[in-house]
Amino acid sequence: MVATTAEQPFTVAKIPVSSWGFAIRVWLAIVLALFVSFWLQLEAPTTAALTVVVLAEPTRGQALDKAGFRLLATVVGVTASITLTGLFTQTRELILAAFATWLGICIFAATVLDGYRAYGAVLSGYTVGFIATQQIDNPHHVFESGMARGAAIVVGILSIAAVNALIFAPDRQSQLAAQLAALHRRVREYAGAVLRSEPGNAATFLTLLREIMALRPEITSVVLESSSGSVRSAAARSAVVALVAELQAARTKRDSESETSAWAARELLRRNDDVRQNLLALRMGRWPLRTWKAPLYRSYATAAESGVRAAAWFAIASIFFVSAGWPAANVSLSFVALFAALGTTSLNPRAFTILGLVGAPITIVLTGILEFIILDGADAFPLLAIALAPFTIGAALLMTSRNLLWSSLGRVFLPYMMLILAPSNPQTYNPQAFLFTSLYIIVAAALLFAAQTLIPPVSDEKRRTRLLAKARNEQQQFRPNGEAPEEATFRDASRIEQFLAAGGAQDNRVLAEMLSCFDQSTTLRLCDAKLMKFAAGPLASLAGDARAAIVTRDASTLRAVASRFRKLAPQKDSIEADVAACLVLTSDIIGAGVGDDSSRKAA
Amino acid sequence: MSHTFPELVIGGVLLAPFATYLAMALVVIIVLRPLLHVVGFAKIFSHAPVAQLSLYVTVLGLLMLLF
Repeated sequence: MVATTAEQPFTVAKIPVSSWGFAIRVWLAIVLALFVSFWLQLEAPTTAALTVVVLAEPTRGQALDKAGFRLLATVVGVTASITLTGLFTQTRELILAAFATWLGICIFAATVLDGYRAYGAVLSGYTVGFIATQQIDNPHHVFESGMARGAAIVVGILSIAAVNALIFAPDRQSQLAAQLAALHRRVREYAGAVLRSEPGNAATFLTLLREIMALRPEITSVVLESSSGSVRSAAARSAVVALVAELQAARTKRDSESETSAWAARELLRRNDDVRQNLLALRMGRWPLRTWKAPLYRSYATAAESGVRAAAWFAIASIFFVSAGWPAANVSLSFVALFAALGTTSLNPRAFTILGLVGAPITIVLTGILEFIILDGADAFPLLAIALAPFTIGAALLMTSRNLLWSSLGRVFLPYMMLILAPSNPQTYNPQAFLFTSLYIIVAAALLFAAQTLIPPVSDEKRRTRLLAKARNEQQQFRPNGEAPEEATFRDASRIEQFLAAGGAQDNRVLAEMLSCFDQSTTLRLCDAKLMKFAAGPLASLAGDARAAIVTRDASTLRAVASRFRKLAPQKDSIEADVAACLVLTSDIIGAGVGDDSSRKAA
Repeated sequence: MSHTFPELVIGGVLLAPFATYLAMALVVIIVLRPLLHVVGFAKIFSHAPVAQLSLYVTVLGLLMLLF
C-alpha cells in the first residue's frame, strides 16, 4: 500500500484501472465456473460460483494460496461430516452436540493461526454445517453431497486460476518487494528520528510494527506464484524478521558516547545490513544467506475460550431450531455455522454478524431485481452472463474500496447473491425458494446475533490482560531455548501486534510495560546468543558463568564477567567488547527487575 | 485399437480418469519447480504465468497421450 500511494494510478470513472481489471476478472471467472459446471452437469453449480467469489483476491498468489486451503479444508470437512454422521446417525441431539464441538475445535485452530490458514480452519468447521447439517434427515446423502461440493470447488478453483493467468492478474511478489523496501526506508528514518529524540516516535514505531506484521500472512502467497516462489517467499520472510529486529534495535538508546551506546549503534548497522541482504535476495530470486522462520505468538487460552463460545452459539441456535420444529431449519442452522465461523476470522465477530444482518436485506432486494425483473424466466446462458455483469462487477469494485464499510459490504454482497440466486440449469425461478433462502439467511444472522449478545465473544480487555501476563512472565523467567534471537523477537512483536489489535493503543500504561518487556527480553536473548558463540572457545567457562548468571538473575556476577571480557577485548569493536556491552545492559535490566521485585515486596 | 484410460478406485469410489490426469500433471509440475527455478523459467518469459499454464497443459496432454 505504501509504495502505491506515491504515484497516481490511471483511473476510469474515478476508479483505478487495477480495480476494474480485478472486477472484470471476478465476473469472467464466475461465468466460466458456471458454464463449466452446467456443461459437466454438476449438482452444485452455486458452490463453483461461490468458490470464485471466495477466492476473489487482488493478486494471483493470494487466490492460489487461498484455493489450496479451500481444497484442503473441504477434504477435512467432508471427512469429518462422514465420520460424525456415521457415529451419531441415530441420535439427533448427539449429532448436533458433535457438530457444535467440531465447530469449536475448528475455531480454536483458526484463532491460533493467521491469514488463509485461519480461513482453512473455519472452512473445515462450516463445511460440516453445509454437508452434514443440511443432510441431517438423509444421512445416506452425506457422501454424495460431499463429492458434489468437492467437484464444484475444484471447478471454481480451476476457473479463477485460468482467468487470473490468462488476463494477467498482478503478482504479489513484485508488490511485496516494493512494500518491504518502503518499510525498510521508513525503519531507517525512524532510527534517525530516535537518535535525534524527535517527538511522536512511539506512534511511528507502533505503525511500522503493525504494517510489518500485516505482511506476514501474505508472504506464503508468493510460494505458488512462480517456480521461484518458494525461494522468494523464504527471502521475504527473512526480510520481515530482520526488519522487526532492526526496528527493535532502533529503539535502544544511542545518545551518549558510552560503551553500550556504541554497541547499540553497531548492532543497528548489522541489522540494517541483514535487511538489505534479504531484500536483495528477494529481488534477485535467490536464497537468503540465513533463512529465518517467522513464528507467531499463539494465545491458546484465548483460542480455547473463543472455540467454546462459538460452540455455545451453535448449540443455542440448534436448541432454538429443534424446539421450533420448523421444516428445513437445518439450512438456516448451516448459515449460523457459516457466520459464526467466518466471524472469528474478523477482528470483531459481533460486528461481522451485524454486517451480515444489514447486508442481507440489501442483497435480497438486488437479487430479487436480478432474478424476477431482469432475467425473469430467461433460460439462455449468455443472458445470465450479461445480467450478472453489473452486479458482480459492481460488488467487486466495492470490495476494492479503501472505505472499510464499502469494502465489507462488497465482500458480503457477492456470496449472498450467489447463495440466494442459486444459479442452476435449468433455472427454476421459484419465488418460494427465493423467499425461503432469504428468510433462512436473515433468521440465521439474527439468531447468531442474539446468541452473541447472550454469550459475548472474548473481550478485548481479557485478551490484553492475558497477553501482558504472558509477556511479563517470559521476561521475568528467561530460559534460553535454542531459538534464534531474531525469531523469538518476531514472536514477541506478533504478541504486541495482537495487543494493539485488541485495542491496546488506548491503554498507554500497559502498552509501555509491554514494550519494555519486549526490549528487555530481546536484550537477554541477544546476550545469551552472543555468549553461545564462545561455547567452544577458550572463554567457554567464562561464557558459561555468564549464561548461568542470566538464568539465576545474578547482576553482580554479570558485571564482573563483563569487566573480564572488556579486559580481554583486543579492540573497541571486537566481539569480546560487544559481549561486554551486552552484559552491562543485561545486568542493568536484571538489576532493575530485582529492584522492582523487592520494592513490590516492601509495598 | 482405441486408447483405454485407467480408472482410479478409492474405497469403491470411481474417479474420472481426467481428474487423475489433472492431479498427476500437478504433481509433475510441483516436482519440476526446483528445476524450473534453476533454469530461470520465470525470467525467460514476459508473462511467466501464461507460460506456466501452457506448461501445465502440455504436461497434461503428454500424460494423456503416453499413459
